[in-house]
Amino acid sequence: MSENTQDIVYALQCAQNVCFAARASGLYRSTDGGRSWEFAYASLALTDSLPTTSVVISPDFATDRTVFAGVSGGVLYSLDGGDSWQIVELGMPPSTVSTLVISPDFGRDGVLLAGTMEDGVFRSGNRGYNWAAWNFGLLDLSIFTLAISPDFAADETLFAGVESGIFRSTNGGRAWREITLPVGYEPVLSLALSPAYAQDGTLFAGTESQGVLRSTDRGATWTQAATPDGPVNSLLLAPDFPTRPYILALLEHALLLSQDAGQTWREYPTGLNDMSAVLAPAGLAPGAPLIIGTTRGDVVSLVLPTQ
Amino acid sequence: MTKKKPAWQKPGVVFQPRLAQAWQQGIDQIVNAIAPTLGPLPRLTLYDPSVSKGKLPEVLDSGGTIARRIIQIKGRDRDVGAMLLRHMLWQMQEEVGDGTATAAVLFQAVYREGVRYLTSGGNAMRLRGYLEEGLRIILAELATMRRHLEGKESLAKLAYSICYDEPLAKMMGEIFDIIGAYGRLELRSANGREIEREYVEGMYWDSTLLSRTMINNPQQQRAELENLAVVATDLEIEDPQDMVPLLTLCIKADIEKLLIIARKLADPVLALFALNREKGRLKLEMVGAKTPGTSVDDQRMALTDIAVLTGGRPLFQAAGDTMRHIRPEHLGRARRAWVNRHFVSIVGGRGDPRALRQHIAALRALFARSTDARERATLQERIGKLMGGSATLYLPGMTQLEQEFNKEVAQRTVNAMRGAMRDGVVPGGGVALLACRERLRAYFADASEPEARAAGHMLCDALEAPLRTLLHNAGFEPGAILADIQAAGPGYGFDVRAGRLVNMAEAGIFDAATVLETAVHSAISTAALALTTDVMVHRRDAGDAMMTGKP
Repeated sequence: MSENTQDIVYALQCAQNVCFAARASGLYRSTDGGRSWEFAYASLALTDSLPTTSVVISPDFATDRTVFAGVSGGVLYSLDGGDSWQIVELGMPPSTVSTLVISPDFGRDGVLLAGTMEDGVFRSGNRGYNWAAWNFGLLDLSIFTLAISPDFAADETLFAGVESGIFRSTNGGRAWREITLPVGYEPVLSLALSPAYAQDGTLFAGTESQGVLRSTDRGATWTQAATPDGPVNSLLLAPDFPTRPYILALLEHALLLSQDAGQTWREYPTGLNDMSAVLAPAGLAPGAPLIIGTTRGDVVSLVLPTQ
Repeated sequence: MTKKKPAWQKPGVVFQPRLAQAWQQGIDQIVNAIAPTLGPLPRLTLYDPSVSKGKLPEVLDSGGTIARRIIQIKGRDRDVGAMLLRHMLWQMQEEVGDGTATAAVLFQAVYREGVRYLTSGGNAMRLRGYLEEGLRIILAELATMRRHLEGKESLAKLAYSICYDEPLAKMMGEIFDIIGAYGRLELRSANGREIEREYVEGMYWDSTLLSRTMINNPQQQRAELENLAVVATDLEIEDPQDMVPLLTLCIKADIEKLLIIARKLADPVLALFALNREKGRLKLEMVGAKTPGTSVDDQRMALTDIAVLTGGRPLFQAAGDTMRHIRPEHLGRARRAWVNRHFVSIVGGRGDPRALRQHIAALRALFARSTDARERATLQERIGKLMGGSATLYLPGMTQLEQEFNKEVAQRTVNAMRGAMRDGVVPGGGVALLACRERLRAYFADASEPEARAAGHMLCDALEAPLRTLLHNAGFEPGAILADIQAAGPGYGFDVRAGRLVNMAEAGIFDAATVLETAVHSAISTAALALTTDVMVHRRDAGDAMMTGKP
């Protein structure tokens, strides 16, 4: 991929061996699990680069081939696995989409949410065709990250990590309530909910300067789970968490792995010091593949240690 | 020849037992008019305002409103007792909006038993002391039952327990799930059969455009700005020279859109802008909005809120500020704003979100401390605006009578819902009050003074009264059902609509904690006070005094 030093990889997504990398220069697609990449916007015949800050794939990608990409001013969608694209604008002035999340029950509810850098959260309830800002109670409109409950169809719960803390919605993003975070722990750059969130109420928050925080009561109280040196850009939990209590935390210069739900951490050597995005398409089991994006636009494939 | 005065206008002194008997009769009249409205299967009261020509009859289902409509009852002694209760219910309705029927039957039960006890020789002051002790125990016990509700289904059930109107309750559940306890909700009557709602993003204040020439969206008849700077002041800007420092500031900061919220922009100021823009000397697009609020206080509050929201600092006339003193820190920023004939709205204020949260927290603390209904309403509105959106509920009604009734029910539900969301709920259907009896009995079990034992018995019996009335209104025999509830154990009550015993929490039958606590507090403390009254003095009426020229 590109060697352009400005071509940061913002987000990675994979499904069915098809991977997407959202980069400052646009969206890239791999159909071989990340070994080779192609420009996904080729059909748009763009004359300028189209910085793409987020990407999300439908949970039913195998059948609906639906992909969404967040750009400045709108959301692009593809219904053919990234071959062709349509854009839906979010309104004026243009909002920069910083993050996208999709309902695990997307096939039924068609719900998709876009966090933006200045205009809060936009919500679509019809598969991305129309969007509306839903910011009731959201007192900070700089959204860094959104996390959706695995049991969204039942609990309609979402979390938003913002410049000044965390907000929670329990009605599918239509209204937000502030969560009490210890003073000085904001901004929150990354969030990860336990796959068993409905039962264990566990979530993790990656902060800019105070490491990783853990809550086991749906965000009511927090304890510090790790204090690495640097912003925690991404957090991944094992798909079978808490049975396999593995957590991966991505910092720009380090990849940290905890095998005990955040009690202890160890650094996983990658040889990279400019990491910006991470994806574990097959989970966090020992020996599982990892895809890492860098601030230079590279996408590197690695394997988790076997022990 | 002087006309003979009616008996009720004559001065006089009334002693016991005539006083208590008369008050009891007056209280019974009011309670008998209100009690049928208690519970999910109530009966309504029709108010006939035939003395006011042209006024339509009113259908009433709220104890507080019924009490307010009864302005006098026959018999001067009875009237004083009735008005004592009326005043209590009115005040309660102003405070919490609901629960007046519960308070009325509680009051009646405590007063009736109190009078009976005192007639047999008890000491009123000691009895009052023990009633107040018992009240503290009840309130403490209710506090342990409080819980907070979340989610539209739970909130809809709560709303239903207040208004007993399924479509309205469902809509209230959705709206309050979105806007929260402090959110802005406007109730409007509409012709039609369906209840509807609308949500509006952003914060808006009552205001108006300072010049129609500023309209840049003719379709919507409003002026719109994006990525703008905001100046908020209560100054009247008369002299174009006053604007020079602001314009210099905008040019230096590369500001292209400016919203000025001021009491006035004089014509020469507007002309200066128009001329400079026409000639291309000024890139700045300016929109002027009138300072929200009519009083100085209202304006100060609105400008303070706008400043926190946008990250600027308001300029106040009272502080000696002038436009010539403007500095960069006075300018706020926002993503979008619009002004039309009625409102100024700001979306995406760029103030510090931490400062905004602190400001809202401070307003909430003020709200919690305040006991003044008007001040609480103002604070409620300010918090709602700052939370970032508003909802409008359109209430149907084919006739004016129906529309007014629907609006009153909705308003009562809104007030009670807000209280329930702020302060929590307790099991409904009279069950929470029943559950307090155990601690009361334990507390007074070893009492040696007869007044203490009497107060314990009196309160335990009175706590049954709301449930008895509710069951009676629904056509059930209270005695057997009370025994069944007792046998079923804690948390169980009777769902009168389903006609069976249920776990109240699981069935979603709740009462707003504040409403119930206020009802208990008002009823017991007022009844205890009334019981200590031994003599009543009727003064000569004002008209009489004026006629005779005597004080």
